[in-house]
Amino acid sequence: MTEIIHPTQASDKNLEAMRHFSEQYAKRTGTFFCVDPSVTAVVIEGLAKHKDELGAPLCPCRHYENKDAEVAIAFWNCPCVPMRERKECHCMLFLTPDNDFAGDRQDIAFDEIRAVTNQV
Amino acid sequence: MSKVVEISDANFKQEVLESSLPVLVDFWAPWCGPCRMVAPVVSEIAELYESTVKVVKINTDENPNVASQYGIRSIPTLMIFVGGQRVDTVVGAVPKSTLASTLEKYIPENGIA
Repeated sequence: MTEIIHPTQASDKNLEAMRHFSEQYAKRTGTFFCVDPSVTAVVIEGLAKHKDELGAPLCPCRHYENKDAEVAIAFWNCPCVPMRERKECHCMLFLTPDNDFAGDRQDIAFDEIRAVTNQV
Repeated sequence: MSKVVEISDANFKQEVLESSLPVLVDFWAPWCGPCRMVAPVVSEIAELYESTVKVVKINTDENPNVASQYGIRSIPTLMIFVGGQRVDTVVGAVPKSTLASTLEKYIPENGIA
């Protein structure tokens, strides 16, 4: 094992904000977190990091030519347009109950997220 | 352990385009949830096709040039390259069977590329 570069985590403030948003939004839309909570954890950390860097929670499961321009367009700001219109979250944060990977939880603790993202 | 080699913008040409074997490239990012789901699948594929396919991964956050060049949008995206050309693309976290059957199309029948 050599030269493992750990990506920086988000601020505690925005991680908590995005954690809270994710729980509320899952409950409001009747969607569930992934059966593998580490998926949920990294996505919430990624959203919070984008909120730190860009001022908006841009989807962390996309590649962008220009992140600032994407934030202004707002299509991929979470909750993105496909999620709002069709409950499609390709990041697997919000899963409809019929999805094979949907778990039974709509909550995740702050420490649970950091326990995962400390290892990334 | 994993036979999946981490590559970069700098050595993409050498590692992928100039490879004599077909190459499976996993475009991933650290804060992408489904990338965590597909990584073990890619790892298994690397072991399964050890002698016939080269398997590499590239972090799109740190290597935006290759990702942009190949029009990566949704991640994870898996691409197959043969003889320096992209021949197939699989988007999202897919089961091993899907990935294997896509890959099989590009492996010569005698198993030697």
